[in-house]
Amino acid sequence: MSGQPQIVIDKVCHTYRPPRGKPVLALDDVSLSVGTREFLALLGPSGCGKSTLLYLIGGFLPIERGTISVESKPVTAPGPDRGIVFQHFALFPWKTVRANIAYGLERQGMPREQREARVQSLIEMVGLRGFEDSFPSQLSGGMKQRAAIARTLAFDPSILLMDEPFGALDAQTRHLMQSELLSIWQRTPKTVIFVTHDVQEAVYLADRVAVMSARPGRIKTIVDTKFDKNDKNIFKTKQFVDQVDAIWDLVRDEAIKAQGGRES
Amino acid sequence: MAGIEQAENARGSATALEPEQSAFAFVFRTLCWGAVRSLPIVLLAVAWEVFARSGAVTMFQLPPLSAVLERIWHDAIGGDLFINTGLTLYRAITGFLISMVAGVALGMLMSRSAIMRWFFDPIISVGFPMPKIAFLPIVVLWLGFYDVSKISMVVFDAIFPVVTATIAGIAGIERELIWSARNMGANNRELMWQIALPAALPQIMTGLQVALPIAMIVAVVAEMVMGGYGLGGAMMTEYRFANSRGVFAGIVEIAVVGYVLVKGMSLLRRRLLIWHPEASEPTTV
Ligand SMILES: Nc1ncnc2c1ncn2[C@@H]1O[C@H](COP(=O)(O)OP(=O)(O)OP(=O)(O)O)[C@@H](O)[C@H]1O
Ligand SMILES: [Mg+2]
Repeated sequence: MSGQPQIVIDKVCHTYRPPRGKPVLALDDVSLSVGTREFLALLGPSGCGKSTLLYLIGGFLPIERGTISVESKPVTAPGPDRGIVFQHFALFPWKTVRANIAYGLERQGMPREQREARVQSLIEMVGLRGFEDSFPSQLSGGMKQRAAIARTLAFDPSILLMDEPFGALDAQTRHLMQSELLSIWQRTPKTVIFVTHDVQEAVYLADRVAVMSARPGRIKTIVDTKFDKNDKNIFKTKQFVDQVDAIWDLVRDEAIKAQGGRES
Repeated sequence: MAGIEQAENARGSATALEPEQSAFAFVFRTLCWGAVRSLPIVLLAVAWEVFARSGAVTMFQLPPLSAVLERIWHDAIGGDLFINTGLTLYRAITGFLISMVAGVALGMLMSRSAIMRWFFDPIISVGFPMPKIAFLPIVVLWLGFYDVSKISMVVFDAIFPVVTATIAGIAGIERELIWSARNMGANNRELMWQIALPAALPQIMTGLQVALPIAMIVAVVAEMVMGGYGLGGAMMTEYRFANSRGVFAGIVEIAVVGYVLVKGMSLLRRRLLIWHPEASEPTTV
């Protein structure tokens, strides 16, 4: 119990079997451990199976080969201990922003007053004040994304699975959301697995960066990237820049392979 | 195609609408637009009147619209119009509501349970395209001539589009929507009522919008065959007395009632689906 990392992924494979067409091997023999309160970034070319891996950890897809355990218990079903922010938001379109964020808290049976206060503070945090009563169809892509992040943060999961959570944001908002995420992560005990295509973001936020290979996805390398997250000028230091460059090279090699070997 | 064009045009004119436009101009525009939209109906009515009076047909073959309207006015004063319309509406709407509740429930059960699907799938595939009105004599034998048999016929016909729309709506829900509800701790029951049902609502509403005119048609046809009060029955009585004005009056009444029902349903849809992107588009029905 004590010595084991919080999340242990052991030789996991996943094959999609579309009703028509060939089976797709999305993940092949992935092994990875993530410690309690660790911030792990997941990088890899498009289609390498990053989302699939998060779905498996989340318990949404059946684990056919290999095992995934969380807190030493095998994952069999979804649970609010592992909160996920979906790549395509998956907000409930018939609920307002406020009702979307409140849904998890309602399921936990949090009393109304407490719930409303919490929802409001999350709305402020992600900068959606004034849009509490808007429906998702009335929001921009970035606003939907922030609503989805707030919805997942609301029920306070100890593990956060984030699938390109800042992908739809402009650079400025992205920075604000990054520091919000970091401060939440530093304040409350959370383990984060964070998928991104932005190498700089990965190196800045994460304790470790895992680079995945082109499909079928494997963990190609894991790089330690512990930089001082409170240092505003970290982006300009040579170590940081070198680290980003090195990881960029790894990712680019895989992206070229994913394209079928064509150099762009 | 026309729908898409219309939506595009409406969006174009919406951006052209200046905020400083006066309320009067807005009302004027709305009225004009309404007049333009009902113009084909008006033209048809005028053509009817002119043709009926031209001498090409006898009064018996095609009474002029004005004579038919006069007859309807007469029925309205006598009160028959309201009894007949009320009875037909009662049968059609009761049947429709039963189809709605039973159809959505059956659709939800079939989406959830493989056994239900195994059992009902072939029944629905065979039953949907079948002319259910052919069962009318049997239904009359079993249930008699009264409302029960008429309403049963309505349900028998109107339930199919509701069931299939519910199944299609639930099957089309994005899996990530279901997953995120599960992630937040929704159990199976909550998933069905709080997630699947509202997520499938646009499709279910479409099914209901198909079922409502079917309910109206079947109610009228059942009345025509079985006789008695109701718009269909009254029409058949007029027919037996060779009163073509009465028959045409029935046709106009049925058309108006049907239009009001369908229009009301599409307004209800806009209210219920206020969250849907379609709600911000202009109505097409
Ligand atoms: N529902 C599905 N049915 C069949 N194949 C699928 C399905 N979902 C994903 N795949 C396949 O699995 C592979 C991995 O998909 P996944 O969504 O995990 O990639 P990803 O790394 O998240 O990509 P991206 O960065 O573009 O989001 C893809 O190559 C895709 O072809
Ligand atoms: Mg993905």
